[in-house]
Amino acid sequence: MEGNQSFNLIWLVLGFPLFGFLIQSLLGKRIEKAFGRRVAGFLAVIPIVAAFGVAVLLTKQLAGMDATQRAEVGVVQTLFSWIKIASINIPFEVRIDTLSMTMVLIITGIGSLIHLYATGYMAEEKDYTRFFTYLNLFIAAMLILVLGNNLALLFIGWEGVGVCSYLLIGFWYKDLANSRAANKAFIVNRIGDVGLTVGMFLLVVLLAGNKDKLGIDGASGRWLSYDVMLPHLGELLKGNPGMTTAIALCLFVGACGKSAQFPLYLWLPDAMAGPTPVSALIHAATMVTSGIVLLNRMNIVFQMSPVASAIVCIVGAFTALFAALIAFGQTDIKKVLAYSTVSQLGFMFMACGAGAYWVGMFHVTTHAFFKALLFLGSGAVIHAMAHNQDMRNYGKLFKYIPITAVTMFIGYFAIAGIPGLSGFFSKEAILGYALANDHAQISGVNFSYIVGWVGLGVAMLTAFYMTRMTLLTFNGKTEQWRSIEPHHHDEHDHAHDDHGHHDHAHHAHEDHGPDEHGFFYTDEELAAQPHEHEHHHDLDKNHTPHEVPVSMWVPLVVLGVLSAGGGYVLANNHLFEHWLYPNGLSVLKELEEHPHHLPGGLSLMAYSIIAAGLGIVFGAIIYFRGLPKKEGWDESKWSPFRRAARDQFGYDNAMVSASVDGGRDLATFSWRGLDATVIDGAVNGSGWLATGIGKVLGWLQNGFIRAYAAGMLLGGVAILGYLAYALFTGVKK
Amino acid sequence: MFNFPAPTIDWVIIAPTMIVSITGLLALCLEMIWPKRDNTWIIGVSLVGLIMAAVSVVAQFSYPEATTFSDTVIRDRFALVMQLLLIVAAFCSLLFSESYLRDKRISYGEFYPIILWSLVGGMVMVTTRNMLLMFLGIEILSIALYVLAGLSRSESKSEESALKYFLLGSFASGFLLYGVALLYGATGSLDISAIASAWPRADLMHQTLLVFGFGMVFVGLGFKSAFVPFHQWTPDVYQGAPTNVSAFMAAGSKIGALAALWRFLEGAEGMKAIWMPALTVVAILTMTAGNLAALVQKDAKRVLGYSSISHAGYILVGILAHFAAPDKVGFGSLAYYLLSYTLMTVGAFAVVSLGANKGKEGTKFEELRGLWRRSPFAVACLIVFVASLIGIPLTSGFAGKFMIFGDALKANLTVLAIALAINSILSVAYYLQMIKAMFVDDVEGDEVIEKRPVSLGMTTVCALCAGGIVAAFIFTPVVIEFLVGKS
Repeated sequence: MEGNQSFNLIWLVLGFPLFGFLIQSLLGKRIEKAFGRRVAGFLAVIPIVAAFGVAVLLTKQLAGMDATQRAEVGVVQTLFSWIKIASINIPFEVRIDTLSMTMVLIITGIGSLIHLYATGYMAEEKDYTRFFTYLNLFIAAMLILVLGNNLALLFIGWEGVGVCSYLLIGFWYKDLANSRAANKAFIVNRIGDVGLTVGMFLLVVLLAGNKDKLGIDGASGRWLSYDVMLPHLGELLKGNPGMTTAIALCLFVGACGKSAQFPLYLWLPDAMAGPTPVSALIHAATMVTSGIVLLNRMNIVFQMSPVASAIVCIVGAFTALFAALIAFGQTDIKKVLAYSTVSQLGFMFMACGAGAYWVGMFHVTTHAFFKALLFLGSGAVIHAMAHNQDMRNYGKLFKYIPITAVTMFIGYFAIAGIPGLSGFFSKEAILGYALANDHAQISGVNFSYIVGWVGLGVAMLTAFYMTRMTLLTFNGKTEQWRSIEPHHHDEHDHAHDDHGHHDHAHHAHEDHGPDEHGFFYTDEELAAQPHEHEHHHDLDKNHTPHEVPVSMWVPLVVLGVLSAGGGYVLANNHLFEHWLYPNGLSVLKELEEHPHHLPGGLSLMAYSIIAAGLGIVFGAIIYFRGLPKKEGWDESKWSPFRRAARDQFGYDNAMVSASVDGGRDLATFSWRGLDATVIDGAVNGSGWLATGIGKVLGWLQNGFIRAYAAGMLLGGVAILGYLAYALFTGVKK
Repeated sequence: MFNFPAPTIDWVIIAPTMIVSITGLLALCLEMIWPKRDNTWIIGVSLVGLIMAAVSVVAQFSYPEATTFSDTVIRDRFALVMQLLLIVAAFCSLLFSESYLRDKRISYGEFYPIILWSLVGGMVMVTTRNMLLMFLGIEILSIALYVLAGLSRSESKSEESALKYFLLGSFASGFLLYGVALLYGATGSLDISAIASAWPRADLMHQTLLVFGFGMVFVGLGFKSAFVPFHQWTPDVYQGAPTNVSAFMAAGSKIGALAALWRFLEGAEGMKAIWMPALTVVAILTMTAGNLAALVQKDAKRVLGYSSISHAGYILVGILAHFAAPDKVGFGSLAYYLLSYTLMTVGAFAVVSLGANKGKEGTKFEELRGLWRRSPFAVACLIVFVASLIGIPLTSGFAGKFMIFGDALKANLTVLAIALAINSILSVAYYLQMIKAMFVDDVEGDEVIEKRPVSLGMTTVCALCAGGIVAAFIFTPVVIEFLVGKS
């Protein structure tokens, strides 16, 4: 199927966002000046929509192919020869199969909606086109990640989205906290990347050592391409169980970094410092799911390693639980959603660990719908509330922003697992596969069964904290912001002026505390920072929330529809499962879908409905009438649990202290102990020696012709003398 | 009476040399017709002539090897490539000459014909195996350079440079000529290849003659190539001569001398067991002494002088690698290295020449401080040149050094390979000083360097050299194939 003409259009899918990126970066400012923001924004949305259109066409075409062919072989399109060294040939090639096209649809589809939304959300920002430059570049990088036909291309995309994420988190870069969050995200992701690269290299080592044996050398050295490598990998891994687990774990470390799993999750909540469309697009719907994509793509490695699968399960379940608990201590609406994202990602990893890779992707898809919806909804709320993100200031918003509220309720019901909505189907499938199978084992202990129960518990917690968030925002007794006294300030008459700098600064400072480690700025620089947060609160009792403009609520409605019906459509008749894995898995074959003999004789569906119901009921009891006293403004009166949850149970602080302080101690030692004495000593010593000889030579260079001529003569005599010596002592052969 | 048969003449073979000679004459005529006018026409004619010469060289790449003028002038790939490199060196040096000479207030029109004829000398050197013709070539090249070195007549430095170069050059020519005489005496022929055939049959008496003749010629060529211990003129002369002349001197005369040495060693290959150890020592000394002495220099042109000495040492390693293992190592690395050396050296001299202003020229590091303010682009290009001179990847200097290193290992010259590697490290320090002077050490106080427009020629030469260096790195295999042909 190589080079299939009819799939050539794929280059348009990649090209459109790239083109948009070039337009925005090179001409954006001029377009904005000449034609206004609307045109510039329009030009940013169009390429993504066009890419989505082409992707739909291609997917239709793909759907017309044989089920096995389209899922397991796909179509490979090569653009150019990229790396060619000795027996390795890594072309720039893409693989069009069901997995990659699913992701392409999510990325460009959700991406279009979020781009559209962003044209409204960012309308008052200064660097409008810079924002869309990054956003378009992100889409392009993400597409390379999912479409690439080898791990090298995946890595390019992987790093590309990392860079875009960094740029976008730090979009309001003048604010210390945002820059710090960006740095944190970047650095923590590097840790994951080490894992990914080591895993990739191990894979290369394994393949390079055995490529003759498998007869895959014939494909013109393309033995790193998926279509050449994957069919043979299982056989190869079978002979190297230790290596298999090592590769699987290394790849999983990479996935943990990008997909924010414990212990590397801690960048994601901070990443919410970026503009809300970014949180929705990158940190909820697309980029953070690339770990799941990686696990799906390389599922053969995990199928061959029950131990690694068990670890994936355990990490996923722990992350799901841990993040859900932290969510109870958050008052920032975006932070709640951030932890809920971390938690939901944990669910996806539980599914992958249990061997149900397609379920992981299924949850990726439904989660993309409802989490993008929730984020955009929260953005609409924040927009309506003068960019105040603290839920304690909200309440009774339903009547002001009805469209936002209705769509957000759909998203909330979806994530809580109300039967019939999309989240229910995917969560049901995750728990079902986890409870029914025993792939994830370490020395006979079936971890997938255990995490299945944990997952059920977390599902209840999810319903609980999402109820809390939604009710605090839209319900309650009072409109909390009415109790905020207006602050007078000279420079800002209008609440929306420059909000990017002021309010974000405000919240970020509260959340992160001062830069106590001096990691990013010295004390002097910190002191020089303007104390913007002392200025004012734009939200005060005179504020009246308004519904968002049409460019912002249209995406909400579309996502609302998808969140409601998407799960049913995809789950019906195993549509999604057979789309991705028509013949089951290569090694594990067909997995059990429904667990039998659950305790109490109830079916899983009953259990999960009970869990969701309990969560919602608990939440409603506590929060229906608004914010309880013990969660009020005075944080010292909070319950110990809630305080601990707010601080991520001390984990973030511990990690930052250990890495920053520990890193500084290590650096100081290597500076004073190693560099200053040993290395400098050696370097200075040899430099001193070389300079000394140079000085002697310089002294010989006295400028007198007679001396130079004498030198030449002596040299000539020496050479002739040696030649004569060599001749007469018979050195010649 | 003698009755010489008139030699047959293949005009195609000598076309490049002829074109350059005639261009020189044309340039001279233009100077005579319009004295004191600006030199635009002269430069134009010279550059066009050089391009035509280059075309006539490249066009012959596909021609078979041939000889003419009674076997004194030869055409083979080696001769063609070396001619091309010489033309490139002259072309690049000419590009930035006018603006520099103007800044230095010495824009004499005769500069152009003289440098073209100097080029002719170099081209004669590389297209012959006849020792007398080789000598003639050297002298044509050198005498023109003696004159050019003293072009800045009002500067005692320049005068001193010319005189020093002339006296020591004559001394070296004495060695060379004596060596040629000894070889003629031993073989009865002026052709280098006669040495090869004479050596195996020679008795001890003739062997002595041959060995001494070889040694003498080596001293003569070693002087031109600036091998230690015949190198001491280099920094003094480079420093004193006008910078554009130094550029051509560093690139052109070295290409000619090293190519001649190559030819000569080809003839003397039979006695390599005798000369190999001696030349190995010379190579090590040349690399090391050049680098060590450069460390303490405070003048950019002197640094480049010493740098050219150490580069001659690197190239000698490449040459020795070929003769130690002729089957494994061709002249590809040598040609590639010379190309890269030409680009980076001429480029570096061009940037240093920006120190000239209003008849004065400062080339000491302290006088070059903050030069980047004057011309950010040119000084940015200098970073590429210096990176290449050091041998940092992404530049042809790296690729060239790497290939010579590989050649030395292939030919089992491990000691030379190690010496080369160590010297590469040594050289980093003084090259970086140059960058440091122009970028980091800024001018203080009221000293203000205003941004002056840089001439088109200067910009072109910087762009050409820097672009060439990077492109030659990226397309290394393509470049080598172009130079040595498909094997």
